[in-house]
Formats: sequence, structure tokens, C-alpha cells
Amino acid sequence: MKIKALPLKNGLKDFANTVSTIPARLGDVAKASDTLPLPTDSFQVNKVARALHPKEQPLTVTKVEDVTDDFKRYYLKSENGRTAYFRAGQYISITLKIGESLCTRAYSLASSPKEALKNEYCIAVKRAAGGFVSDYILDNVKEGDTLTSYAPEGTFVYEPLRDAKTVIGVAGGSGITPFLSLAKAIDERSENLNLILLYGARTEKDLAFKKELDSIAENNGSFKVVYVLSESKAKGFEHGFIGADLIKKYAPKGEYSVFACGPAAMYKFLKGEIEKLGLKKKYVRFEMQGTANGEAKSGETYKMTVINRGETSEFTCRGDETVLTALERAGVPVPVRCRSGECGFCRSKLVSGEVYIDESADYRRIADARFGYIHPCCSFPVSDITIKIN
Amino acid sequence: MSKKYDVVVIGAGNGGLTAAAKLALEGKKVLLLEKHNLPGGSATSFVRGRFEFEASLHELCGIGPELTVDGELKKMFDELGVSEKIEWIALKEAFRMITLDDEENIDYTLPVGREAFIDKVEEYCPGSRGVSNALFDIIEESNAGLDYLGTITDFSTDIFKKIFGEYSDFINTAGYTVNEVFDALNAPKAVRDCFGGYWLYLGTNLDEESFTHYFTMFKSYVIDGPVIPKSRSHVISSALLSRFEELGGEAWMNTAVKKINVINNKAVGVTLENGEMIESDYVVCNAAAYNMYTKLLDKEVVPKFQIKKLNSAKLAPKGFSLFLGLDTSPEELGITNHSYFIYNTADSAKQAQLTKSRATNGLQAAVCLNNGVPDCSPEGTTILYITAIFTGDEAWNDVTEENYVNVKREFADKVIENFEKATGTKIREHIEEIEIATPVTYARYLDAPNGTIYGFENTGSYGVVQRVATDAIGPKIANLYYAGGYGTRSLGFNPAYSSGYEAAQNVLGNMKKEGQSK
Repeated sequence: MKIKALPLKNGLKDFANTVSTIPARLGDVAKASDTLPLPTDSFQVNKVARALHPKEQPLTVTKVEDVTDDFKRYYLKSENGRTAYFRAGQYISITLKIGESLCTRAYSLASSPKEALKNEYCIAVKRAAGGFVSDYILDNVKEGDTLTSYAPEGTFVYEPLRDAKTVIGVAGGSGITPFLSLAKAIDERSENLNLILLYGARTEKDLAFKKELDSIAENNGSFKVVYVLSESKAKGFEHGFIGADLIKKYAPKGEYSVFACGPAAMYKFLKGEIEKLGLKKKYVRFEMQGTANGEAKSGETYKMTVINRGETSEFTCRGDETVLTALERAGVPVPVRCRSGECGFCRSKLVSGEVYIDESADYRRIADARFGYIHPCCSFPVSDITIKIN
Repeated sequence: MSKKYDVVVIGAGNGGLTAAAKLALEGKKVLLLEKHNLPGGSATSFVRGRFEFEASLHELCGIGPELTVDGELKKMFDELGVSEKIEWIALKEAFRMITLDDEENIDYTLPVGREAFIDKVEEYCPGSRGVSNALFDIIEESNAGLDYLGTITDFSTDIFKKIFGEYSDFINTAGYTVNEVFDALNAPKAVRDCFGGYWLYLGTNLDEESFTHYFTMFKSYVIDGPVIPKSRSHVISSALLSRFEELGGEAWMNTAVKKINVINNKAVGVTLENGEMIESDYVVCNAAAYNMYTKLLDKEVVPKFQIKKLNSAKLAPKGFSLFLGLDTSPEELGITNHSYFIYNTADSAKQAQLTKSRATNGLQAAVCLNNGVPDCSPEGTTILYITAIFTGDEAWNDVTEENYVNVKREFADKVIENFEKATGTKIREHIEEIEIATPVTYARYLDAPNGTIYGFENTGSYGVVQRVATDAIGPKIANLYYAGGYGTRSLGFNPAYSSGYEAAQNVLGNMKKEGQSK
């Protein structure tokens, strides 16, 4: 329907009004400065983004310290001049060239967020059965070495809008490191929660950072630590494995969250135990630490064709290892962070062939699964494969 | 190995993807470069726990109306051959608008479709049918007029006759603001509030916002109706990339471009961050225009006129988004609508002042995805997004590395409180997963200047009508084309997709010309 008499002003004047904005536009352009504005880095929010998420952080080892017989702490400083700030519970990934292999591993930061502002991170590395990279670090990395690393990542953090005010931390083995960071964060007041830490080890001498943890607990009412020994009994220590009963014993009356970080064997037991507690899903969080990659389906060797920026190379891969392990073994540079399926950095296109992905480790986007993308860190080849990484 | 391409496309954002797909469809040898590890730019998603969150696309226009008539975007997707890879869901509800101001007491729920919308406004404001109809008539004519204007290459007497004859309402209103046109029509307050309810989308003041620009957007939402992709916008990005590859295009992820190489004012290829040089006859740039001029081109090669144009632009609003996975169903929570607009006040001039700072900003657009896509999350759970818009350039200038997490959480807390207050629901205790995106997040992922999510502002002489009419003017770098949200038709999904397609058409047109002159 056409409106004959639009109740606006005089038609010609209105038309002139519209047309006049066009020279006005050109006039504004003519008046503007002809000096290029500064790049985005000049804005405060862009500066903060860049400082929190540097592309790379070359980290130099400033000190190596024995923690227990098979556990060492590495003090690191960034060659960027500052280590990026982070949230207690986050990790950094380190890429190492070991022989022909190019391996990336995630290590939870064991230092406090405020220490990062003084250009210091700490990670702790524990010797593990079949731990190719941890063994290499423990035996080779020394003061003065510089390691390739990236920005802190990870969602194993305390979030008051989501978590209960009291967190029961369950730590086993090297899984103590994010909790050490969290305890320090409570102590320096960069985090505000009550942390009750249940820390399991075989014997007293396997407990790492005991002095530091005890000292924080002594000075700070918001942090409490309970040591749980599985292979020895001693006064002042709980005995056995950390399960539902022990959690209940130390839990507060009201609501609480459970955060767990430790080896796969611990999770296997703990998951069943936590179910007994009847907690809401939102109150249970696991740090996967590269443990969630499922189980292999076959031990056969297959052909692996890798496409990277238009170049094709051929390697082999094995049914009992993830596609990522095969890529690392082949020395192919792949962007990797968590190795648990979650972060998606290694997302690549499976051009042909088949892989097995355990449902528990499948954090792919719906469309990625549909369009043939995989996270190589938790995909096991079950045929010859062609994979496009870039 | 030959590294020479017909066209290098920088960035697999929405504009880059459509440009690359169109060029590949026409048989060109195209290399698409993306610095991230996946395509889509803002059209993406991420997984937390048992939820897959949409990053930014909450409604898309130009696919419908109502999935029965092909919109412009749908036609483009058909031509590019991606439509069969994407499943759409049409939304019936336009929005529910609630104000936090207790005295205003506004709570309007408005449907999609011209007649349904007018009926509902009549319910809220008896006797408003005439004004509503007049508004819709101008809106429809403006849209047609703007399209017509876009097709004009040379001005002649016939064209003026046609403009004055067929599009007089468009021409008469195009120079005015939304409120000036409301005034001229003596629109009652409730009509203004209902028709003006979408202004949040732009975080803008209706005393300044161009009538034509605002209502071009309004038309696509309310008259044609929005849709959403069933499995988040990553499916659109993936479909475009997969089609591009099917057509023989080459796409490299994790590959950042350092420079666009220009010789004698002509783009001749790019240099990658790793130092590798790639030659091409044409370059299409989908990086933010701001970054194209300040980072990707050498200072000396940027024409002064383009620098002035950049400096005459203001940065559009900045974004804040809350992504919530709730452990209870929307029914149990009492979240009944798909799309909520919650404002401090319906007075847009006042609201535009309030959106300048975190302390006063109560504006939010909340989307409950389950009320559009019921099975988007596991049974008994809810996905809720809440977006706030910040105007001005100051709102987040006090953030530091150290205070950032607390600052963003504090604002998120207020956003949740406002949502609960406006809707009478309780969501806080049900938060199972949460992510908070701020201007810092958009700066991180998009390298957006000051964290803007809408490119350049649309007001005054930088309005979309003025841009359409003048963007072809002035010296440019030859064989370098721009695609993306900082372009002529401003930022948003539709303009971004169509800008890429247009860039490809311009490249193809130029190739043809060059071919003829050889």
C-alpha cells in the first residue's frame, strides 16, 4: 500500500536533507586526520588481552629443586620479560624436541598468580611409568635451559558464580600442583574460598610440598590439608584411598564442590565414590591432565598421510597410540595444549580413514564431528589415515 | 611447487568464507588463510562440559521468511551450494522486552510477522493500528529503495523520477533519525517502545540513529523473521569451508598473514608470519579494516584518503557475553521466551548514557537457546546467553591483568541479578558451566580495536546510507578488496556474508575487464 500523504515535512526539503548527508560524509572524511591511527595494541583492553594470552612464552629455568625422590620443582622466568598472569588451577604447555620427536605436555602451574607478576612460574614434574617426556625433563632439563611454552590455559579453576564456597580438593601424585597454587592463591588473597585438601600418597616420604602446605594451613583458616597414606599408617595421617567416607568426614554441613586432580587409577576409583555422595553435577570437577584419551582398539601399524599447508608427508601410526602421539613421534609441529580432548587446539581434518574416539573424551563441536574433524589427542587409528593438520 | 594463486583471501571469517567459496565456484585458484585453528571468526562455538555454546550468532535473517520463501542470504547459500549442509529453525517470537525501571513497568512480548506484530501492538496500545501500518509501509519501501539505490551506477533523470515516484517515503525519511520519524507520525509511547525495542541490538540512541538503517534491520527480523542453525553457527562456517574445499580451494588454518604485499599501488600477494611469500593476482582481506590499514599494509602504501576515512569513523559498541549451562530445564526455571531484551529504561537517549559504564549499564539481550532449539542441551538442562552492549570507549579502560577476572565476574554477577529481577526466575544456583566474555575477549580472539563487536559506528555521516552512497569514491589500492564487518553495510552476520560475496564479484568483474584489455 502506498501512502499518498505522508505526515512528514515538505517532501523536497526532506529529500534535500537526505542528499545533503552525502557531501557531509565526504566533508567529514576531508576534515579527518591523515595520520594512521595506532594499531589495536594501543587500547587498554587489547593490551590486557595480549598480556594474558601471549602467543608464546619462552621460559628459562632459573632453579631446579628436588621435592621428593621422583619429583622436581622447576622455577621458570619468561624471556618476554613477564610471565602471563593466570588463575590458580591453570596449566602451561611445554614443547620439547626429544630426538626426532616434537612433544607437547601440559603442566599445572604450582606457583601463585601473584608470583607470575614478578616473572616467575613454577611447575613440578614427577617420574611416571612410561613417562617419555617427564623422564626426559627430569634427566636433562637444567638451570639456564629455555623451553618453548605458551599462554596459561584451562578451566580447572575456582569460579564463585558456579562452585560452592567450600571446595574439597582431592589430589594424588603430581595432581597436587594445581592445589598448591590454589592454596597459595588463598593465602595471598587472589582467591576467596575455603579449600579442604585431601592429599593421597603411598607413604609419608612421597608427600610433596608438605612443609609449604602445612605452613599455609597454619596461617590461614580458609585452607586445611589432610594427608591420606595408602601404604603406611602413621599418627596424624588418614589411611587408605580417598573415597566417599573420607570426603564426608571432612565436608561441611552445607553444599560443597569436589575438585579432583590425579592419575587415571585414582579417577577410576574416585568417580564411583563421588557418585555415592549424590552431588549435583555442577559441584564435581576433574582436571583431565591428559588422562582422558580412552583405550586403544588395536595394536596394528597403519599408514599415516599428513597434509600440512599443501605439503604431503607419509608416516606410520599405531592402533594402540593416539594420532597425536604418532604426529609427535614423526616430529610434525601440531598446535597442542591440553592433550585431553577438551581444548580443541589440535583439531584437524580426518580426510580419509577411520579412528576410534572414546565417548568420554569426545569434546568435539557437533559440526566438527559431522564434517570429519577430530581431536588427534584422543583419537586412535583403526585403519590407514590421511589427516590435514593445517 | 607453484605458490601463485589467482586470489589469496586473508581470514576465514564470514566474509572471507563467502568470498573464497564464490571465487572457487567460478573456477579461480584460491588460497584461504586463517590464523585461528578453525573457520568462522565470530560464527563459532565452544564446548564446556556437556554444553556446546554458540559464540555470537543468536538470530540470523535473510534465510526466511519462515523458511518458505528464500531470503537473499538463502539464495546466496543456495548458489554457493551450502544450503543442504545446514539445518535451520525458524523463530516465531521477535522478542520480549522488559524494563528494570519500576515506574515504567514495561513487559511486551512481540511476535514475528507484520500483521501479528501490529495486532500485538494494538493490544498494548489500543488505536495504534493506523500508525503501525504507516510505519510498516515506510519500512518496506525504504528497504526496496535502498536495494534500488545499490543497483544504480549512473545518475539520470529517469532514476530521479523513479526515486521520487516509487520511493518517495524512503527518500523523505532517509535523512532523519528514528525519533524524528516517530515524532512526524505522532506515534504514541507504547508504539515507539515496541518498534524501538530492537535498538539494543545496536546499543544506540534513537535520537541519533538513522531511521532507514534501524528499520532495515527491523524489517529483516520482524517482517521476514529470524532463523537459527540447529547445531550452532559453527555448522555454517564448516559448511562454507567444506564446500570451498570441494570446489578445489585450498585452506590453511593456523596460518597468520604478516603483510599484504603492494607494488606500484597494486596488491601482489602476502607474506606469512613465518616469512613465506605467496604471490597472487588479487587479495581479499577479511581481517578487520582497522587492522588491514594499521598492521597488514606498510604505512607508505595506504592512500591518504583511506586513512582519513578510517579516522572519520568511530568504533561501534563493545560486547560483553555470559554463557551459562544450567542444570535444570527452562520449564522448571520459568524461562519461557527465546529472546529477552532487558533495559534500564525504554528511553533510548537515557539508556545510551547508562551503557557507557559498568556501574550504570543494565541493558541486556538474553537468549534461551532451548526455546528455539529444544534439544540443544541434554535433557533437564538449559543454555542461556546474556549479552550486554557498551557504548563509548571508556567502559573497560580500568581493567588490568590482575583485576580482570574479578572485574568481569562482578559485572556478570550484576547481569545475572538483573535477569532474575526482570524475569522473576532463579538461575544462580543452577549454573553448571559459565564463561564470561568481555571486550578483552573480543580483543583477544578478533583483534578487535577496543574490543568492539560491531566494527564502525553507524551514526551521523557514517550511516549506512551515506556509506553505500560514497564508499566507491576515492583512491584505493588496486586488486585489494575488503570483505567483512567493517565494510559498507556495517557489521552483523548478513552484511559480513554479503560483503564477501560482493568482494568476490568485484574481483571477478575486474578479472574480466583485465582479460578483455589484454
